[in-house]
Amino acid sequence: MSICSEWDRINPEEYVGVWAYLEVEDGSLSEAGLQMLGVARLLASQKDTYVGAVLIGRGVSSLAREAIYYGADRVYVADDERFEKYYPTLYGEALAYLAKEYKPEALLVAGTMRGREFTPYVANILKTGITADCTSFEVDSAAKDILGVRPTFGAYLIAHIRTLNRRPAIFTARPNVFPTPQKDLAREGEIIPTNPKVVDAVGVKLLGRSRFGRGAAPIEKAKILVSGGKGLGGKEGFTILEEFAKVIGGEVSGSRKAVDAGWITHDRQVGQTGKAVRADLYFAVGISGAVQHLFGIREVRCVVAINKDPDAPIFDNCDYGLVGDYTEIVPALIKAVKKIKASPQLITNFVNLNINVVNLIKGN
Amino acid sequence: MDIVVCIKWVPNTTTVNIDQKTGTLIRSGVPSVINPHDMHALEMALALRDKFGGSVTAITMAPPSARLGLEHAVGMGCDKAVLVTDMAYAGADTLATSYTLAKAISRLKFDLILVGQETVDSSTAHIGAQLASWLHIPYLYYVVDAKYLGDGKMWVKRMLEDAYEEYELALPALLAAAMHLTKPRRVKLSHKMRCKEEGVIEVWNNKTLGLEVNCVGLKGSPTIVKKTSFVAEVPRKKIVCQPRDIDQAAEWLISRLVEDGFLKI
Ligand SMILES: Cc1cc2nc3c(=O)[nH]c(=O)nc-3n(C[C@H](O)[C@H](O)[C@H](O)COP(=O)(O)OP(=O)(O)OC[C@H]3O[C@@H](n4cnc5c(N)ncnc54)[C@H](O)[C@@H]3O)c2cc1C
Repeated sequence: MSICSEWDRINPEEYVGVWAYLEVEDGSLSEAGLQMLGVARLLASQKDTYVGAVLIGRGVSSLAREAIYYGADRVYVADDERFEKYYPTLYGEALAYLAKEYKPEALLVAGTMRGREFTPYVANILKTGITADCTSFEVDSAAKDILGVRPTFGAYLIAHIRTLNRRPAIFTARPNVFPTPQKDLAREGEIIPTNPKVVDAVGVKLLGRSRFGRGAAPIEKAKILVSGGKGLGGKEGFTILEEFAKVIGGEVSGSRKAVDAGWITHDRQVGQTGKAVRADLYFAVGISGAVQHLFGIREVRCVVAINKDPDAPIFDNCDYGLVGDYTEIVPALIKAVKKIKASPQLITNFVNLNINVVNLIKGN
Repeated sequence: MDIVVCIKWVPNTTTVNIDQKTGTLIRSGVPSVINPHDMHALEMALALRDKFGGSVTAITMAPPSARLGLEHAVGMGCDKAVLVTDMAYAGADTLATSYTLAKAISRLKFDLILVGQETVDSSTAHIGAQLASWLHIPYLYYVVDAKYLGDGKMWVKRMLEDAYEEYELALPALLAAAMHLTKPRRVKLSHKMRCKEEGVIEVWNNKTLGLEVNCVGLKGSPTIVKKTSFVAEVPRKKIVCQPRDIDQAAEWLISRLVEDGFLKI
């Protein structure tokens, strides 16, 4: 097969093992990176191969053992003062160097903002395929290739993407689309110190960093979320949602339209271009249920929709739905929680009310 | 400062609909627009030029119909535009697309390349990093503010999940503009009239660029779409009620959630 003269020739057969890049956040392994390690473990067992983990940074050696506990068989560590600061070109070069040197067949990187920034650079150095924002993976039964499955065309379609003849096949996935694996202190593995040859980051210098306090807890960790959309009609709508969230021990999040309107910050946006959440319980209030929004709540265990339009798509994608104006329903929910808190024995009566008080329009 | 802005002419995915009967995507009649993220890159480029001088060239690799997008860009005030189009470029993935664009951009004089953060159709956010790699220049994503400092240097502010970062960049460099910037400017008729002038919109094909066929289009693409499918619905209970008595309905719902174990009171 003739290939582009700007690509190195490689022998795909030489590439074995599934790797995950582990991002380090405030001195510990980021949850998003561990989720990639979990995916790598599953793929490696289907392919009967090893799981590699990559650590790049200064002082990261101490985390290698941790990576093994979470599922790595071999941990490649590039611990060097050169990697004290992250620059996309620098980290990109380092990861590409390790991939060239140790030849994994697949490389998974969490699609955090940094991950999305430097991973395509890695792919370009290696002249290999990269598939962004995978929501699942397939191992082709005949060719044994790993395929990345991702939403495309504004998330209306799902594309199953294969990387032909180039290795490693590179994939990113958004944080929280996959679960965080369990830590197993009995696991053993090998730690491999490395020394990537890289060109120092030229022409770019970090001058300063200022954190913006997230204030509230991050939505991806919340067990209960009360989410508001355009239907709230204004920023004030979130005040009622916050009150409701408080009485049930939840956090507040929103749809993209609520974010675009400036009613809530972007770090609290749920959906394809926001965050995927894994809450037990999710209230969608004044949210229509666009496909891109639904992408963020696939892993939610129970979805409750409150919307005044009985035909809103969210009602086809919820467990419980109440049709009506949220300005009446949410205060009623707050009242109900308080009433039940005061006399928990009422629950049995209320549950049985069922069909008598509500006009069931869907379900049974 | 001479700036090149990469834009993509995309189907307006916000108006896509699913045919409820057949469950298929209605693609026909979906109008195209400049990728909304690229509109912010265009605005940033034009604002930088207005303040610090220089020129702005919009470039796209696309079928000929994308000329409309370039006309829009010129209408916003770009000095020049380039349409890179050839049948040989069809079927390109992000590696082959970035390769072709990088080769085309190399023919232009530039200090800065601006791209939108991602596209609304395929949303990969690959092209910026890949262009920087082909062109061997530094780059940063998620840029919310930028200033020219003189002496071939720029000050750049970008936003990550939980922090703002400030950088100094030596030109030439590439930046991806974040979405939440100032409003992109509108088209002015006087600017748009310039599209008729010779040399304002140039069309380059593979005779112009002379690229190896193995490096472009489908042949230069390591990835292929094996198949497409629809988003699988998550199975849900779908118990939807129109309450007669809101208070009672609320009590019923909260009790159900407690019974199901999702809510602890
Ligand atoms: C590439 C791409 C990526 C995207 N990514 C995301 C994403 O990550 N997250 C996201 O959320 N969206 C995303 N979107 C946007 C998405 O397509 C929708 O536009 C958006 O989710 C709609 O937000 P909404 O439901 O709040 O608003 P709308 O669709 O306008 O719905 C408002 C709802 O409120 C109801 N309502 C109105 N008044 C009341 C009331 N008083 N009481 C109760 N209900 C009321 C209405 O019936 C309506 O159903 C993306 C789009 C594209 C093209």
